[in-house]
Amino acid sequence: MAKRAFLTLIVVLLLFLGILPVLSMLVKSLVVQGNFSLASYGSVLTSGRQWTLMWHSAALSSMVTLLTLVIGTPLGILLAESDMPFRRFFTILFVIPLLLPPYFMAVSWFDLLGRQGLLAQIAGPVATRITSDLLFGLPGCVLVLFSVFLPIPMLLTMVFLGTINPRLQEAGRLVSDWKGILKSITVPLILPGIMLSAMLVFILAFGEFSVPNFLRYDVFPVESFTQFSAFYDFKAATAAAVPLVVVTLLLMFAESVFLRENTYQIRPSQEAVHSPRIELGSHLKWLLSLVTALAFIIVIVPVLVLAVQSAHTEAYIQALDYAGKSLLRSLAYAFIAATLLVSLGFFTGYLVQKKALWCWRFVDSSLLFLFALPSTVIGIGLISLWNTRWTNFVYATPAIIIIGYLAKYTALTSRISVTGLAQVPPSMEEAAQVAGAGWFRRIFYILIPLAGPTLLAGWLVGYIFSLRDTGITMLVYPPGHETLPVRIFTLMANGSPQLVAALCILMIAAILVPGGLLAALATRMKYKVNS
Amino acid sequence: MKIVELDSVSKSYGNERALDKISLGIEQGERIVILGPSGCGKTTIMRLVAGFIPPDSGIVSIAGKIVSRDGKIIVPPRKRGVGMVFQDLALWPHMSVKANIEFGLKAKGFGKPERQKMIRDMLELVGMLEYMDRKPAELSGGQQQRIALARALVLEPKVLLMDEPLSSLDLDLNIRLRKEIIRLHDKLGFTMLYVTHDRDEATDIATRIITMKQGRIDLS
Repeated sequence: MAKRAFLTLIVVLLLFLGILPVLSMLVKSLVVQGNFSLASYGSVLTSGRQWTLMWHSAALSSMVTLLTLVIGTPLGILLAESDMPFRRFFTILFVIPLLLPPYFMAVSWFDLLGRQGLLAQIAGPVATRITSDLLFGLPGCVLVLFSVFLPIPMLLTMVFLGTINPRLQEAGRLVSDWKGILKSITVPLILPGIMLSAMLVFILAFGEFSVPNFLRYDVFPVESFTQFSAFYDFKAATAAAVPLVVVTLLLMFAESVFLRENTYQIRPSQEAVHSPRIELGSHLKWLLSLVTALAFIIVIVPVLVLAVQSAHTEAYIQALDYAGKSLLRSLAYAFIAATLLVSLGFFTGYLVQKKALWCWRFVDSSLLFLFALPSTVIGIGLISLWNTRWTNFVYATPAIIIIGYLAKYTALTSRISVTGLAQVPPSMEEAAQVAGAGWFRRIFYILIPLAGPTLLAGWLVGYIFSLRDTGITMLVYPPGHETLPVRIFTLMANGSPQLVAALCILMIAAILVPGGLLAALATRMKYKVNS
Repeated sequence: MKIVELDSVSKSYGNERALDKISLGIEQGERIVILGPSGCGKTTIMRLVAGFIPPDSGIVSIAGKIVSRDGKIIVPPRKRGVGMVFQDLALWPHMSVKANIEFGLKAKGFGKPERQKMIRDMLELVGMLEYMDRKPAELSGGQQQRIALARALVLEPKVLLMDEPLSSLDLDLNIRLRKEIIRLHDKLGFTMLYVTHDRDEATDIATRIITMKQGRIDLS
């Protein structure tokens, strides 16, 4: 009884935090002077600009998806299955861009290839005119978003490879070489993971606004954001957000029909660690060179450029002076949000994994829907629901930022919890039940300790995603409560490149240092639990 | 000539000694059963012969050719002419019965008409011809077992390795399949290395039994 009541409360909370704001936004856009009207949507269907935006959004996200998939999947296979040296190092390196606010990479490429960039000092203005023209527009957006989202297919490929029973590949090794095994056995078996990564990259690229905004490439999220922040035209902003909602819903539907059963809970194969490695033999040298070159171009160069650009003590003094408080605020909000995210994620994960309420599938789909929804849409939804006289006690405080993070990122901690809970044998909870333990006791004394390392990983993911968030915070932060990514974003227009670069480096340190420490702790805990 | 030969082979996993200077020879057409409790090293012998792991020391030969030696795999699994039925069968779940059997034939470069004939003949032999287009999940445990056998035998291996293949079946089916394996062996004449911890199963199947204990041959 306590279990059902508590989990029902969690569902209500989820509705309140995430679904209600989106519904409120849609309803308000359909009401003009107290009457039902589709006037706000008229322009979406009739204006040529809207079709251009649709074409831009579709082209950008399709190209990014294709490129990340074509390179990320083989890269994941190489890093997970081959005998290439430094696999762990490369994995960490490639993940770094995903952990940072996406526009950091754009800032860095601008510092390098822009007309007054570092390249101009070496190659002259003619060369940088060409590179700058390429950077501002579709090619630049594709390059930046490719580097940011490449880890998604790479990591999902690695995770799904870990779920394959190694005997299936060994049976192939008796008759075929690695090429044949990869083509006919490995890739078909991890196909749901590859499709899931394609869907995720497409949705995230479709909803990304900070990079196209910086590189001046008009897409729907930029339009939605501009309509709201520049013209304060709520109805036009909502109308521009609707295509984003529709595309998200369509992809969600495809995911639930074709992929859900294969991807919603991943069980690592116990024997996968003993899986045979692909021997690269004579291919090792050129493949290693290729992977090193890729890491150099999309990770090391951008970070180095920021480091070189900010290599003055004054830049850092000025950065701390300008944005020291924003940095502290960012850390505090991310800490609070991560703690709440992992709590909410654990209980929604429990609900989904144990199918504890009839609406478990709705909960899972809603969370994924909210995660897939562009940040600008969630931001506008939150404003629509909370910006009233009666709710100002929330809207005018940083609580609105935390609510936004909970709405958007609970899907991540929930899925991580589902995976963690799937690895705890049901008999563990049943044994406690037989011993007379109530539900809360079983949760706190059995399940949480056993799923501990996974929960820590969930906290870390919640912390990083809250810390790097720009889209939601940019729209809802109350005056005087801006976070560091927002501060940097607003400074990009008129701040000096040295100052912006120094702030980016500070932000990278704020993400990577605690992230690295906690990841090491989670690994240590997992080792202890397993041994 | 000995089809499989292990000469003073040792293998450890960390500090755990799995095999301790094992020597063993298998003659053409023999049905050797390795009998022993869990952890005695019998599966390690299978994996050494298949080529999934190298011996730390010692020599593994197949048909007179050295295939692994002192920590090195000289001939990779696919070139050893070995067939294997795994404990969990390892039927590829995304492929039909036909595709499971055809995979090895394609890899070995057989043409389409030849492949079709070989698949039909083999499925007929194991009594599974009408299940050709089904997926493994649509078959019963016994039927899956026959497909795993068919997949291993279709390439006419020099030696067939069977790693506790009947351990997950009920006794009735287990006994019926023992007879089936012997029938196939008598018909095709392959050499077989079979691992089990069940004494009755070993007695039924073997022409020679090897008993193992703590990584050593106890009785041959």
